Amino acid sequence: MNTPFNLDEHRRNRPRPTLAPPPERYFEQLPMRVMQRVQPTPAAASGWGWLAALTAPMRTALASAVVLGSFAAAFWLTPATPLTALGSDALARVPQEQLLSYLLTTDQRITLTDLAEVPGTAHATPASTYWQASPDELRDLLDEQPTDEGYL
Amino acid sequence: MEDQEILAKFRDPTTRNVAFNQLVRKYQRPVYWHVRKMVVSHDDADDLTQDVFVKVWNHLDGFRQDASLYTWIYRIATNECLSWLKSKRRKFLLPLTDVTAELSAQLEADESLAGDEIELKLQKAILTLPDKQRLVFNLRYYDEMPYEQMAEVTGTSVGALKASYHHAVKKVEAFVTAS
Repeated sequence: MNTPFNLDEHRRNRPRPTLAPPPERYFEQLPMRVMQRVQPTPAAASGWGWLAALTAPMRTALASAVVLGSFAAAFWLTPATPLTALGSDALARVPQEQLLSYLLTTDQRITLTDLAEVPGTAHATPASTYWQASPDELRDLLDEQPTDEGYL
Repeated sequence: MEDQEILAKFRDPTTRNVAFNQLVRKYQRPVYWHVRKMVVSHDDADDLTQDVFVKVWNHLDGFRQDASLYTWIYRIATNECLSWLKSKRRKFLLPLTDVTAELSAQLEADESLAGDEIELKLQKAILTLPDKQRLVFNLRYYDEMPYEQMAEVTGTSVGALKASYHHAVKKVEAFVTAS
């Protein structure tokens, strides 16, 4: 049978148990190492150190706010372009000849009065634009046509 | 340097670093051994001791002197140790017995205990205690801290501490006798 162990009769190793001591000069260096940890680092002193001091949830919330703020600022600062202006610009880039060709070849019921209101067409007529004939040539062509006395 | 003088100099920005250096020099040994008894390994004790003093630096301005500086620092060290042991179990999903076995293995590797069979058995027996009871045992048996001061450090009543220490002694004696 084992001899009962009595703690009060055991030799006490106070104030510490018999564990291996720390490395030599450990307690001489520890205050310096602690001081290095509590002093602000150059990076922290550069102005961004306060970021490291924030907790992780705070940093996440701050990053989200910055991203959302950037989107909002980009939205508000971008000048709004009206759709009518966009349409007018696109129409202005289409050559007049193509416009007239479209209007005349489709069933758009365009009158000469309408065309007269289109900028740049006030002095142009379909004849002058598409026949590409001089006044002399036109006169010759008209002279060659048979005349109907009944209408004179 | 007395605690009151350290605290007064710490509040003055021009002598803050000097005062804190004095504080670390004054309390580093008791804090280190308090932590070392709980975590066994020197490397872990070194990390935790530094963490304790960093917390002391961060919170010393708010120290209201309800308790002595010594008690307050011990309380921080105690909470650091208990949190470390708890996170160690949670991190590696280790049950209580596995952490005890790991700490026991570190004890067996400790050269200072080689050849002292009874002391090694005693240390292993202490490691079988639950963390808080082991803490109570260390404060009373090794540090000979009065129960009233232990109550301030642990936030537990004097009666509960006395009962805890009594049960701890019985468990340790039974373990060493049986082994």
